[in-house]
Amino acid sequence: MNINIKKKNMEEANKNSGQNLGIAALITAIITFVLAVIPCVGMIAIIPGIISIVLASIGLSQAQRNESPRGVVMAGLIIGVVATMISFSQYFVTGKLAKNIEKGKWTEKIQEVVDDVEDNVIRDLEDANVSIRIDDGEDKVEINVVSGDSDREKILEELEKVNEQVNDSTPGGK
Amino acid sequence: MIVPRAENKTIIWQNSCLREPYIIINFSLGLVILLVMAYSLIFSPDKDSYPVVCIHEKITGEPCVSCGLSHSFSLILRGRINEAFEWNRYGMRVFLFFSSQLLLRIVFSFFYISYPLTRKQLIIYDATGSSVIFLLTFMPFLIWIFRFS
Repeated sequence: MNINIKKKNMEEANKNSGQNLGIAALITAIITFVLAVIPCVGMIAIIPGIISIVLASIGLSQAQRNESPRGVVMAGLIIGVVATMISFSQYFVTGKLAKNIEKGKWTEKIQEVVDDVEDNVIRDLEDANVSIRIDDGEDKVEINVVSGDSDREKILEELEKVNEQVNDSTPGGK
Repeated sequence: MIVPRAENKTIIWQNSCLREPYIIINFSLGLVILLVMAYSLIFSPDKDSYPVVCIHEKITGEPCVSCGLSHSFSLILRGRINEAFEWNRYGMRVFLFFSSQLLLRIVFSFFYISYPLTRKQLIIYDATGSSVIFLLTFMPFLIWIFRFS
């Protein structure tokens, strides 16, 4: 009687060990999956990914030996493999990014952007009206600078008019 | 103390339910999500003392699409949503994913124990729904990864 109970307990323990490993593998695989798709930590996810695959493989072999259900173990194995593959792909991503930076592709682009921004700022400043006001209670100083394109055009027009008048009044003309 | 038969049966049934793989998985995932939240609460976004650094940024010098996610999480938990958006625009989305998953783990576990006849359907709905939410949340990150690889 006692031997029978012990046998039953042993069988149950064997069945559970495969199942427990499957649960552990599935949890590790799900966590790996979430980590693998986050670029910042994706490369580290390869470690729990491999752990989940190992756990699932052992669980699967135990489940096959004891003819216990394999659903959880298989789910752990599949998710673990996919997560590890995504994590592994991050190495290629980093490699490609590093290559692009080495070739200077991106540094050129960054320089172009910086130049564009610089041009825009200068253009904006040309049209800007700068006003500086200093007030210390007793004295007040106010400086207004207008450096717009329209003002420059006006100055040029005025200069041209003056030039024309000078040309008209020059002696010796027929 | 003698436990009445019906009560004893209920205790045994509940114990067997708690040993179910689905419940153990739900419990573990819930615990992981709570740990993520605790991590975001412990580290202050103003001190910038996060232990996790972006490997991409370290190697390439370029920030990746998930840079600032820890900052964003900490700020969301402190109610500074606008700042969180500035740190990482997908921070709120990922935070909502984790929050919804925590809620779903509790709700699905309750239904799993309460309605034993619909367990298979429940697992199918859970797996499908969670996968869809996961894809919707992490799509920008996945696109970023596969654009370069």
